Amino acid sequence: MLNPTKIGRLPRVRTDAQRSAGAAPAAWLAIAGLTLVVAVPFLAVVLQGIFPNLGQGSFSGPFSSLIATLGDSALIGMAGNTILLGSCVVLASALVAVPLGVFRALYKIPLAPLWDLALLVPFMIPPYIATLGWIMTLQPRGYLQQIAGFNLAPFLFSLFGMTLVMAFNTFPVVYFAVSRTVEAVGSRYADVGRVFGATPARAFWRITLPLSAPGLAASLMLVFAAAIEEYGTPAALGRRAGFQVLVTGIDLRITDWPIDLPGAAILSILLVAMSLATFLLQRWILAQRSYQTVGGKPIAKDKRPLGKLKIPVMIAFAAVSFLATGVPLLAILATALSRTISGGLSFDNISFNNFILVFSNSAGAVNALINSFSLGIATALITGLIGVMAAYTVVKTKIRGRMTIDIMTILPNALPGIVVAVGLILAWNMPWLPVTPYNTAVILLLAYCCILLPQPVRYTTAAFQQIGDNLEAAARVFGASSLTAFRRILLPLVFPSLASAMLLVFALASRELVASVVIAPVGMQTIATFIWRQFEQGSIGLGMAMAFIAILITTLLPLLLLMLLRRSGLVAD
Amino acid sequence: MLKSLKSITFGVFAAALTAGVAHADVTVYTAGPQSLIDKLSAGFTKQTGIKVNVFQATTGKVMARIEAEAANPVVDVLVSASWDTATDFAKRGWLVNYSSPNAGKVPDFLKSEGAVAQGISALGIAWNTKSGTPKPTEWADLTSKEYKDLVNIPDPAQSGSSFELTAALAGQDNFKLFQDLKANGAIIAGANADALNPVLQGAKAAVFGAVDYITLASKAKGEAIDVIFPASGTVIAPRPAMILKWSKNQDDAKKFIDYMLSDEGQKTVASEMLMPARTDIPANRPLISDLKLLKYDTTAVYGKRKETLAEITKIYGGK
Repeated sequence: MLNPTKIGRLPRVRTDAQRSAGAAPAAWLAIAGLTLVVAVPFLAVVLQGIFPNLGQGSFSGPFSSLIATLGDSALIGMAGNTILLGSCVVLASALVAVPLGVFRALYKIPLAPLWDLALLVPFMIPPYIATLGWIMTLQPRGYLQQIAGFNLAPFLFSLFGMTLVMAFNTFPVVYFAVSRTVEAVGSRYADVGRVFGATPARAFWRITLPLSAPGLAASLMLVFAAAIEEYGTPAALGRRAGFQVLVTGIDLRITDWPIDLPGAAILSILLVAMSLATFLLQRWILAQRSYQTVGGKPIAKDKRPLGKLKIPVMIAFAAVSFLATGVPLLAILATALSRTISGGLSFDNISFNNFILVFSNSAGAVNALINSFSLGIATALITGLIGVMAAYTVVKTKIRGRMTIDIMTILPNALPGIVVAVGLILAWNMPWLPVTPYNTAVILLLAYCCILLPQPVRYTTAAFQQIGDNLEAAARVFGASSLTAFRRILLPLVFPSLASAMLLVFALASRELVASVVIAPVGMQTIATFIWRQFEQGSIGLGMAMAFIAILITTLLPLLLLMLLRRSGLVAD
Repeated sequence: MLKSLKSITFGVFAAALTAGVAHADVTVYTAGPQSLIDKLSAGFTKQTGIKVNVFQATTGKVMARIEAEAANPVVDVLVSASWDTATDFAKRGWLVNYSSPNAGKVPDFLKSEGAVAQGISALGIAWNTKSGTPKPTEWADLTSKEYKDLVNIPDPAQSGSSFELTAALAGQDNFKLFQDLKANGAIIAGANADALNPVLQGAKAAVFGAVDYITLASKAKGEAIDVIFPASGTVIAPRPAMILKWSKNQDDAKKFIDYMLSDEGQKTVASEMLMPARTDIPANRPLISDLKLLKYDTTAVYGKRKETLAEITKIYGGK
């Protein structure tokens, strides 16, 4: 008669079915978006690797490039260097960011908003600009020597220097992920541990840190992927140290006549495989247990005072802010304000001429700013939408094929920008297409969406993983449709993560260089291509002035947006 | 808020659509400098009413784009920074044979059936006048101890003209000069701009084989830098302009070449510190007749490109 197992089971079966049915629109939207943004260019790259003459529209000689490319004796060295550099950057970023992030989450930090801002700026500094800033600061007769009388060139042009410069650029990803997830975990679970006799350190290591693993692992993976995909820094610093990585090898194949597109495609697939391996590792680690900490119970938000740790923690925040934000920004500003580079740091060499040139729209500077910011906003909106749908489908539904969706969101992670550009040209410039976005601004939008899609997906996936299933179930019990439950319960809970991911996308898209240089429609400039052209022509000051203005706007615009959202009550502080 | 976001998104798409409409114009792909092509296309449009669409990047990136577009090419006119491009494209049968009426004063070695020089750059020693080193006059001067650790060499793998200089000089003494430079602490420092930047700030004293017009433009802006053309000889890099055979707009493309070689066009070239292709246009800089050119067989040099680059890589340590 009353069979408890049966009763217990029936409703669950129904929820699963309902959930799948309700989730179908989200899944379809995610799949359609991913196909257009990721699968099309990626497939073109894979086909190019297999069919060397694809660019001429021919499928002759399949696999003929494979042996020549993979048989290259330099390949093992390049692949090894790539993994070495990626691991060093991940380690250095974690060492810098995790302690700061944990302190920020659990303790009352004086001037906390100021530190958040100072640690946000490195996001906004394009890596190639930061690298040039470091070179101009540390090289012989650089700014450091002009001020302090010594230089640190031997440190800079080495694996150590490369790691440091790249880590200072990427550690904010980890810092913000850790401070956010640790804050969400809160001290409540650790307090339970304390009640049962654990020391504070033990409670942290055994409870708080493991529960924060999704955010930490996701951010470290993004850092690894960014590090193995980064071109500017290894090209500028590594070459002198005799340190070649896969991306510099790929770039050489693409830009050195005769051009070897199939070889570049094959090396890119290798790079993607590396990033996919770290992704699967991350997935495997996270699959070992549940990380649901947002269960609808109120969290005490009061943080602890720092006490005796106050001064050392303040010094750590100040030192990291100065190195990551202060040094590159000062170097950029000093260069932009110099009448001539050879004039050095002296009062009679100060000139606002470079800034005047930018604002008087010299060489299309203002148009470049408008183009990049419009593209940045559009990219943030599109990747945010696709990202949240994909993450929801992967984490919260049981739809078949959700693993495929998850893998598709990770593919572009390590695809070098220049290869995305080539893939998009191959895909969208086929003669039989009736309409094509190629040679319009939309192609840049597609490129940016492809390159940056992993950011919102990874951030929102981590956020969804921390939301207990019972929250959505409770809403459904009270009669909410699955759409209402998503809109009123899930979306607000992941919104902080989604919003920060979209801001990051905006910043990254508005300064993307490597793909833009190759794929920009005729006659269209972006911030990055403008700066790059100025550098190519030796107008470093003008390029730096543009960089400074762009950094300022990409920092202030998102802050303004966040303030507006807070005022309208969409985001809590 | 949302409304304004919507309108911005709409703006992007509207801009995109209008950009796609412009098809009857001449599309020019060119290696830098941007300011030169901006001035040339503005002048051309003013004179003929024909709009010019420009894509500007380094020679390598321009070639990558043409290669990827090969199934459905859109470029009408290509201006490369390396004559090698013209030779290679002619061999592939990609060029339209055209002899501009304005090309009469262009010397024969600066034109072929399918290509004509827009202007010419030369390589020299870019030297920081405030570096405290003696002014170099010869390539070999940079192997002396005053320049210990102070010399940058542009990467011959990344720049066509650097490669020709390297091959020509290495052919004279079987790489001895490059071994001496290495022994004196010279380094290979990326493409042209990457090699020049440290010299401007003073981290290095000289670039061995710098592109002259970039350096001369920096000098004109007041940088403490000068270009020296060694009396023993250097190489020049004529910048070939070509009409591609797939162009659906060849008449207008020819008009663009004509304008580029007109008095006005060549004066614009000279104003960017390049040598004009026409010998009758004056320029405020040393001209080909003032330079001694190294003698070498271009075909043979490019035939051994791989070997030469491998030898340089061996001397300067893995890249």
